[in-house]
Amino acid sequence: MPESIPATLVIDTLRDLFREARAAHAKEVAEPPQHSHLGWVLSVPDTHQKTVLAALDKEESIRVVTCATEDEATAIAAGLYMGGEPVVLMIQHAGLYASINTLRGVAMDGRIPMFYMIGLLSREKDKDPRESRHSMVRYCEPLLDTFGVPHARLEGPNDVHLIPEYYRLSRERRGPAAVLVGLETI
Amino acid sequence: MATATGTDTKPMKAPMKPEDVLRVIAAGRGRAICVPTMTTSPAWRTIAPDDLSVGCVGFMGGASSMGLGLALARPDRRVIVLDGDGSLLMQLGSLATNAGAAPRNFVHLLFKNGVYHTSGAQGIPGGLDVDFVMMAKGAGYRVVTMIDDLEEFKRRLPELLAAGGPVFAELHTGLAEQTPMTARGGVAFHQQVENLRNALLKPRAR
Repeated sequence: MPESIPATLVIDTLRDLFREARAAHAKEVAEPPQHSHLGWVLSVPDTHQKTVLAALDKEESIRVVTCATEDEATAIAAGLYMGGEPVVLMIQHAGLYASINTLRGVAMDGRIPMFYMIGLLSREKDKDPRESRHSMVRYCEPLLDTFGVPHARLEGPNDVHLIPEYYRLSRERRGPAAVLVGLETI
Repeated sequence: MATATGTDTKPMKAPMKPEDVLRVIAAGRGRAICVPTMTTSPAWRTIAPDDLSVGCVGFMGGASSMGLGLALARPDRRVIVLDGDGSLLMQLGSLATNAGAAPRNFVHLLFKNGVYHTSGAQGIPGGLDVDFVMMAKGAGYRVVTMIDDLEEFKRRLPELLAAGGPVFAELHTGLAEQTPMTARGGVAFHQQVENLRNALLKPRAR
């Protein structure tokens, strides 16, 4: 059975992820970093991850940019990547559907590492997401499969290691990768 | 800095040639990163064939967002977005996002011609009556203006590039000589991304 993940655990994981990303970046490039904070979260507010977004509001080491659409978030992430900044996108499955052309045009055609945390709003606790009675839950993984986007499920606190793993995977494959937040964070 | 709102914009006159506008920008940009899109792209790659530009083609409406990301990442450089009116309408909410993020180094130049030139010059919704200056001002851009004369643009570009952004200028232009459909080719998007990233970050030799 899936379990909810505490917001604090997600934030701690993001902090560690960004520290690791900054260290890796410093080894690769000569240009010194231009920012003192650890990294960026681009968000189109997601009911499923709202406790994380609320906690991020108080987190000074991570800068959050709230975007009007997921298309914007994806294109902003591309700009931040070109400028050497580590980014995580936090969106909802409906936002993935809405922005799939931008994911294709920016992250895939541009070969840009792009890591998404996608909330599965309305996912039933006792059902596999692919068998959900809600189409917005049911089609998420098949859509990612169609576009060849690797993905994993965050089904509880023990799965948070997948966040840095899939972030790294997006860097290695130079394209999008995603984790799906199964239950609403707490 | 003189500013304008939608209520005090001047009547349209003979539009500026986009290629002339782009030449003025190329001459005055200095080290600025530029993000052309759609009909500004073919001319820009001829006028400014360098590694400090990245085109937005294939995700229409995303130019200012990509420019915003660059501006946030690199506050040491000015970022100039060469947007189109049809493109901006596809992601109009980006005006609020750009203004909300409020990068001081962000300059958003809108080439307003009233049509979707690339797809056959069909009119955009609202045509030339759409007042993007008022929209940008309402969204919260710090400096907004309209320019419909090349000499005025030449004169004012330095102050627009020096102003604390976000800066928005609606430029009344005619149709470009080429579109991405009539002048295909150029450097592939992923290579442009790689080139710009390398130019900005200077990767260590392996």
